[in-house]
Amino acid sequence: MAAKGGASNFEKEQMFGMAEKEMEYRVDLFNRLTQTCFEKCIEKRYKEAELNMGENSCIDRCVSKYWQVSLLIPFLFADSFYAYSIA
Amino acid sequence: MASTEPSAAGAGAGGESSSQAAAVEPIRMPTAEEIKGQDIWNNCAVRSVVSGVMGGGLGVLMGLFFGALDNPIMAEEMTARQQIVYTAKQMGRRSISNAKTFAVMGLIFSAAECVVEKARAKHDTTNTAVAGCVTGGALAVKGGPKATCIGCAGFAAFSVAIEKFFDRHT
Repeated sequence: MAAKGGASNFEKEQMFGMAEKEMEYRVDLFNRLTQTCFEKCIEKRYKEAELNMGENSCIDRCVSKYWQVSLLIPFLFADSFYAYSIA
Repeated sequence: MASTEPSAAGAGAGGESSSQAAAVEPIRMPTAEEIKGQDIWNNCAVRSVVSGVMGGGLGVLMGLFFGALDNPIMAEEMTARQQIVYTAKQMGRRSISNAKTFAVMGLIFSAAECVVEKARAKHDTTNTAVAGCVTGGALAVKGGPKATCIGCAGFAAFSVAIEKFFDRHT
């Protein structure tokens, strides 16, 4: 990483691009998470705005599992990617 | 008063466009205090204790009412004041015993329903039926296994009927 004036500009743009991509990824993850857990846990016909206890615990479990999976899969993907590129 | 629950659908999407601002209020995520306040009601112990207390109150009222009706005053010579005192004592005794029964019933029912609903993660009539069975069985356990079964089935049917009557579920 040479500390030239022009290169650091490019690096800044690169970092901005990566941060933007990361932000898009996060927002997409959040949207998919809410969509999935809403469709899974909340019944279609309801009479009140409050969450029941059953729905509450369902959402807790759904979010926890989704989060674990979303943390686990990139890890597995990175492993297989490296193995693939080496082989 | 535009409070929304931390439901999975509320994506915190900020305010509406200015043309609709008069009709629709923006979504506001609940604060930590609001969440804690609602979480108190999600706690099984708190729920069952509150139900037990409400059952006790109901038992007191019922005991007062039926205790006043049920007065076989013996054919002794009692003045009016003595009759009143006797009736009042009888009402008190009966209401305390009723209060204990109903408090225990409410406590067991609420605790069972809460635990079952949390375990199943679904809001159904099955939770009510199982809780009714547990309550009826627990109250009738002194009469032997047959009385326990009958109490379980009877109280489960009763609680499901009450549930459908109040139409809480869809």
